[in-house]
Amino acid sequence: MSDTVPTPAIHATGLRKQFRQGDGTPVVAVDDVDLTIRPGEIVAFLGPNGAGKTTTVDMLLGLTRPDAGTVEVYGMEPGAAVRAGRVSAVMQTGGLLNDFTVEETVRAIAALHGRADRVETVLERARLTGIARRRVEACSGGEQQRLKFALALVPDPDLVILDEPTTGMDVATRQEFWQAMRADAALGRTIVFATHYLAEADEFAERTVLMNRGRIVHDAATSDVRAAYGGRTVTFRPPAGVVASGGIDSAWLARVREALEPLGVTDLEVSAASLEAAFLALTAESPQAPELVGVAR
Amino acid sequence: MSATASTTGSSRVRTAPDEDVRPAPRPAMLTYARLDLRRQLRDRFGMFFVVGLPTFMYLVFGLGSEDAVGSGNVAMYVMISMGAYGAVTATTSVAGSAATEQVMGWGRQLGLTPMRPLAFVTAKAAVAMAVAAVPVTLIFAIGAATGARGDRTDWTLAAMLVWLGSALFAIYGLAVCLVFRGTNAPGIASGMIVVMAFLGNVFTPLDGLMLDIGRLTPLYGYAALARFPLTDGWLPLGGRDPLWLPVANVLVWTVIFSLLALWGVRRSRSRT
Repeated sequence: MSDTVPTPAIHATGLRKQFRQGDGTPVVAVDDVDLTIRPGEIVAFLGPNGAGKTTTVDMLLGLTRPDAGTVEVYGMEPGAAVRAGRVSAVMQTGGLLNDFTVEETVRAIAALHGRADRVETVLERARLTGIARRRVEACSGGEQQRLKFALALVPDPDLVILDEPTTGMDVATRQEFWQAMRADAALGRTIVFATHYLAEADEFAERTVLMNRGRIVHDAATSDVRAAYGGRTVTFRPPAGVVASGGIDSAWLARVREALEPLGVTDLEVSAASLEAAFLALTAESPQAPELVGVAR
Repeated sequence: MSATASTTGSSRVRTAPDEDVRPAPRPAMLTYARLDLRRQLRDRFGMFFVVGLPTFMYLVFGLGSEDAVGSGNVAMYVMISMGAYGAVTATTSVAGSAATEQVMGWGRQLGLTPMRPLAFVTAKAAVAMAVAAVPVTLIFAIGAATGARGDRTDWTLAAMLVWLGSALFAIYGLAVCLVFRGTNAPGIASGMIVVMAFLGNVFTPLDGLMLDIGRLTPLYGYAALARFPLTDGWLPLGGRDPLWLPVANVLVWTVIFSLLALWGVRRSRSRT
């Protein structure tokens, strides 16, 4: 009561983890990561494959021991927070048993949490009630992912960590998944998710932590991150008559430039919109030699 | 989605102070073991090798064999051998699948629950022994109904030795699946059981050089020990094993399998 500052959901300082590759060369997966997440926040961990997101998540869950630095989850050691049911996760590589049914899987995990009372609730919350009797091996990738989400909800955690939760989903199931997540976030859960889809961070997270090569390169409100890659993009479709097989008629493009000039628009470019490009621009510390960064350390 | 609002009324932002309200979770291991057992028994392909094959072989080789062996008859001798084969296949495949589940990612899922690793091992061991009891009970019941004869104490002793001794092959299954990682590891483990059953004097009586080699293989000691109350060590094709021989065989293989399993566990840990 007397404490006005609530215990942070996650408080990590100086996290570092190094792995050895197959040929014995060491690779720094996570390098000096400081992170504090307050209760109730929705935070996206954004970064390309190999940025260190999964390793960071593993350390936050106590599944991997950091080489250096400290992690506290609700003021506890991560393993203790997991055992207390305060934090749970949807893991990228977490497996399911193919010959269990959906409901049996939830029952099994609920038994281990001592929360048999939660089975119906989480099945409904993850929209699995209709396929509760289906075998896991007969479920689509999206359904299996929703099942993992249901398992994460079993202990009624205060914090849910999702590692690439929508991998392998098509657009429609992805949308459905986030809808279920959004409904759950409205109940006040703290949510941290790792993704390499810029759009997911943009749409869902209030705060975005950009990771690249094991380091946090940007940590701000999602709207700031959006601004950093150039705000909104205006696109339009030229009339069919000016588009030939070789591209757009240059005389017509010149007229467009001329027409836009009085509005203060310069440098009009015709290019395929690419989130990847914007993303790379943000994550590359040195555009000339991005490969060298991190190796020398 | 609309139904979610009614559950556990939690429109508040969850913060730290509700630590004391939260009940300490107690894993319901019995429920988990029961679900896992049901899953194992449902596996028709696996259960064919555990129950179907040994029962079939008892019916082919043991049924109506009235010739005397030790304190009983050949039918009882074959019954014990086939019961042992079924029980060993059961513990091998359950323990093997446990190792494979861990490697394939279910272990990470379990790692996010309050269950301690020792509780997991205990639950799996209970499931393995429960599955092993199925072929032993069934084949001994068929034997009793179809003319396997022997002393009552020999029956009881043989059944207990078959059942409890099969635990050794849980260690074996664990070791093989930790060493050969991957989804087909339990298949490799069960397949090797068939070979070891031939070498171990379980399927057909051996003599000469094959018997000398067989005495060194893992199933020989276990099967000979299970038949010891009946045969008192006498072999079907002549000769007699002293009691220390099967006992030494079982002890030595227990040590070997345990060391292999430990090495496998250590190796799988160092990967992460």
